[in-house]
Amino acid sequence: MSEDAGSGSNSLQGRGLDSGCRQPFASTSRNGAVPEHQQRRLAGGQGRQRPLEAANEGGDGEEEESEEEPGQGSERAEPDGNHTDRRMLRHQYRQLINRVQQNREDMLSSKSNSLTDALQEANKLFSGVSQAREAALDAQFLVLASNLGKEKANELHSEMTVFDSPAFAEDLLTFMGLNRLEGEENDSDDESIASGFLPNNAWHKLGAEAERYFRRSPSFHYMLGSFKADPPVPRQRIERQKRKAGTEEKRAMPAQLKKMEESHQEATEKEVERILGLLQTYFKDDPNIPISFFDFVIDPSSFARTVENIFHVSFIIRDGFARIKLDQDKLPVIEPSHEEEGRENDQNAQVRNQAVISLSHQDWKDIVETFEITEPMIPPPGISQENESKYLSEDFFTVQSIYFFYVFERIVEKLLTMLV
Amino acid sequence: MAQKRRGKGPGPSQGEDPAGDEDYALTQSASQVRRNLERLSPAQVDQKVSELVQYLLVKDQKKIPIKRADILKNVIKDYRGVYSEIIKRAGRTLQQVFGLQLMEIDPKHHIYILVSILPRLEVDNLKQDDCTAKLGLLTVILSFLFMKGNAAKESAVWETLRRLRVDPGVRHEVFGDVKKLVTEEFVRQKYLEYNRIPHTDPPEFEFQWGARAAKETSKMQILRFVAKIQNKDPKAWSTQYTEAAAEEAAAGGLFQDISTPGDTGGASQGARRRTR
Repeated sequence: MSEDAGSGSNSLQGRGLDSGCRQPFASTSRNGAVPEHQQRRLAGGQGRQRPLEAANEGGDGEEEESEEEPGQGSERAEPDGNHTDRRMLRHQYRQLINRVQQNREDMLSSKSNSLTDALQEANKLFSGVSQAREAALDAQFLVLASNLGKEKANELHSEMTVFDSPAFAEDLLTFMGLNRLEGEENDSDDESIASGFLPNNAWHKLGAEAERYFRRSPSFHYMLGSFKADPPVPRQRIERQKRKAGTEEKRAMPAQLKKMEESHQEATEKEVERILGLLQTYFKDDPNIPISFFDFVIDPSSFARTVENIFHVSFIIRDGFARIKLDQDKLPVIEPSHEEEGRENDQNAQVRNQAVISLSHQDWKDIVETFEITEPMIPPPGISQENESKYLSEDFFTVQSIYFFYVFERIVEKLLTMLV
Repeated sequence: MAQKRRGKGPGPSQGEDPAGDEDYALTQSASQVRRNLERLSPAQVDQKVSELVQYLLVKDQKKIPIKRADILKNVIKDYRGVYSEIIKRAGRTLQQVFGLQLMEIDPKHHIYILVSILPRLEVDNLKQDDCTAKLGLLTVILSFLFMKGNAAKESAVWETLRRLRVDPGVRHEVFGDVKKLVTEEFVRQKYLEYNRIPHTDPPEFEFQWGARAAKETSKMQILRFVAKIQNKDPKAWSTQYTEAAAEEAAAGGLFQDISTPGDTGGASQGARRRTR
């Protein structure tokens, strides 16, 4: 290149062609000035001396800015640059990049020149760049700016009738049946959300219209839906009926374990009820005299039975149907509680006290002797009952299970007596 | 038929397809296929054809394109030798019985979709469900994309949708997770393409029409939709109109299409052979 010898204007022109691709970004107010700036970039790290000379030589007055920067020469002189200056420069670059990124929409708008301004500012900054680090930032900015420029250009080459997407959105809303409320004002044009009430089927309505422009294959589905609905319902009924028949059968046939376990549970409850009934009967006879606890529960012939009785009575107490108190002699007595005192299980009104009664075999014997208990007040089940018919109608299993339990207890008892 | 077929002549099994030996069975010549066909009883082949038809219909429910690999694995199995014949017959059945066409939207990866070939009725569709609403949303997006030059950045799309009270950050009462719907479901169904714009950090994405959209509708159709909504003549947007007409002309003649609402009987709309 012959710029060294040539006049400034020649070199300007020559360079101008090189950087012709960057023309679109130039603002028209600076004729030919921009190529000059960009040439500096092209020249890059190489022939920096030349453009500077050319600029100084040019002296057309177009290059005010370049001539205003005497710092170039001094920076050239110090290849390392001033650290603070460089930091400042990087900071400025970053600020510029941030600004461009934040104000993207503004940059893209065809009405504003802000992109050009940003470019010019970058140009200014570039003149202070001497090291690769700042140059990298500059390059980053350039990529950003050129992307924006491309987008801007894209928008320019659009239609003669510009597609106005806000208007499209408004029309869509109208189509969907937006109910614009009266009295509400859209104060500014910037308001992007229209006011009003959009009905629930808005999108369906739009979709129905859109369907007509598509050749969608209809989704395959069974007309009558899936099979799930019907079978479970009759099946339940069948089950219930079967179960009823089953229980009757089971009553007739003794040898089934399942029923035995169930009746075990029932047995306890029934026992509790029975004992409660007994207690109330006894108390009816003597309403004022509470029954001695031990008289009530002890069975002189069987320790096991006694323990069972205590167990059952404890349920009655827990449920609040009866109370245990200590009388004058500090002996426990039991009496049914009256109705107004409440009988629900989950009543918190009643004060609950808990006690642990321990009764050893020896104690039991002693009590039998002391209290001279000869007969149990709670007859063992199966021996004498008032509602015999009720008992017969129950499962034989209850009987069998209790008998089994009874036998077991007898064995335990025998063992205990042997130990004692 | 504009349906692309596999298996006629040596196929492009130059390592593009994942299953190499599967391709070998498929790339048999027509005469080889015929020979394989003779070995099987007609009942067997018919059975396979029916199975394939049912399979395609069910798979199409979710509108996710059907892969050839799945077809081979689940339906064809041992009948690979006559794959091309089975596909051909299934396609014919679908056309004649259901009015659907089996189209291959991606010749490289062999993905199929079903498209209706029956003319649309002017009557309102009775069945309106979630799919209808989603289609509405999709159409808005497709319209926006087309009118803005066939592609748009994700941010621009969301900006437009916000005006319609659809916000990606907010759970929509009809669509639920809208962002997922648009960027995942529609993309999986091949209605939209969601591509990353290079050199952007943080990464940005742009939308384009997907292959299925190109087949199920056309630029002209979408332009008409926009025109209907805005109550204008499609020709009002000259650039877009020219583009749409060009697409029609390029594809026209290959497929006689149905009349569409508002069509004044101009050029026949051809199969959407999408070229970019």
